[in-house]
Amino acid sequence: MHRPVLLALFSLCVSSQLNFADNAVIKVERAWIQAVPQVSDTTAAYMRIINLSGSPLKLTSASSPAAKTVEPMITTRKTQGGQEIMGMQSVNELVIPAGGSLELKPGGDHLMIMGLNVHPREGELIKLTLRFAPGDQKFDLEVPVSKEEPK
Amino acid sequence: MSETISDPGPDLKPIVSPAGMNWRLLIVAVALALALLVSFLATRYSAYRNVQENFYGQALVPAKEAFDFRLVDQNGKPFRLSQLHGKAVLFSFGFTHCPNVCPTTLSDLAKVYRALPEAVRQKVQVLFVSVDPRRDQPAVMQKYVPYFDESFIGLTGTEPQIAEAAKAYGAFYEISRNDGENPDNYSVNHSALTYLITPSGKWKLIYNFDQLHDAKNMVRDIEQVLAES
Repeated sequence: MHRPVLLALFSLCVSSQLNFADNAVIKVERAWIQAVPQVSDTTAAYMRIINLSGSPLKLTSASSPAAKTVEPMITTRKTQGGQEIMGMQSVNELVIPAGGSLELKPGGDHLMIMGLNVHPREGELIKLTLRFAPGDQKFDLEVPVSKEEPK
Repeated sequence: MSETISDPGPDLKPIVSPAGMNWRLLIVAVALALALLVSFLATRYSAYRNVQENFYGQALVPAKEAFDFRLVDQNGKPFRLSQLHGKAVLFSFGFTHCPNVCPTTLSDLAKVYRALPEAVRQKVQVLFVSVDPRRDQPAVMQKYVPYFDESFIGLTGTEPQIAEAAKAYGAFYEISRNDGENPDNYSVNHSALTYLITPSGKWKLIYNFDQLHDAKNMVRDIEQVLAES
């Protein structure tokens, strides 16, 4: 296959845009879901969400037909006895500044996917719906499952 | 009256008085002590410099005797760290219901492991120790840990066994509940460090979560630890 075709196919998978009245408001890049063993019913989705609008947006919730719940989470880091303790906390919203972006990445903010009802296999695409405020803006995307962050 | 030449006179007195002799001895002793001190400091300093300059991970100086934990492996068999004598061991604490930190740690370690030359891989073992024995039974560890690399071994154990192992490496964990409805619905906050044990059983290096991502530097550390032993 020619390289441009591959690139186009690749960007189809990892980059999507949400348009309101023909103006792109949200762009999602480099989205991926961590492949986990079948025994595990939790995983996480990572991506870069770009806010192309002139006002802040909030990622308030997410859902997927593949799982019971998908929740925006932050990773907490505190130092105790000289060692860094990592934990996570569910949050009501993650803010994407006007004209800025939100990075969801391993060891940082992420979408926790809980109660998987189908096991996401490496290479598969999982449907994900993101919801943004203000308003209840829905954003659908298909996210590839990968064992590690795609290059 | 002239002096007789047979008179021993003051010239034949010992040149150095007994008190002077002590001074010489003292100077020699002090010089020797100084020389010893300088050579000792130089050795320590070069060891310090060596560690500071060459290891990517945070080094324990001097390396500590690694605690020989008693746990249970993914096949349900007793497992002690000392079984791996002769191999470099990388291990971290975590739990299988962990969506973010643990899969990332294990997939980073898998990448590091695969980046090692085949011959070196034979001398390296990666372990993943559960801090959630309630949910992480050996059978669960068996299905979880080798997924990231088939050579990786998952360990669990009784609560006291795990607490003892965690304490020995300064690791911390605590159950965190978001809702009280389901007793199985909880998360575990934990220190996300990876420890490197030398083939002779010394705890030598510590890596934080973010460091594992740099496979090139991890490989360099592992090869250096193996070369030194």
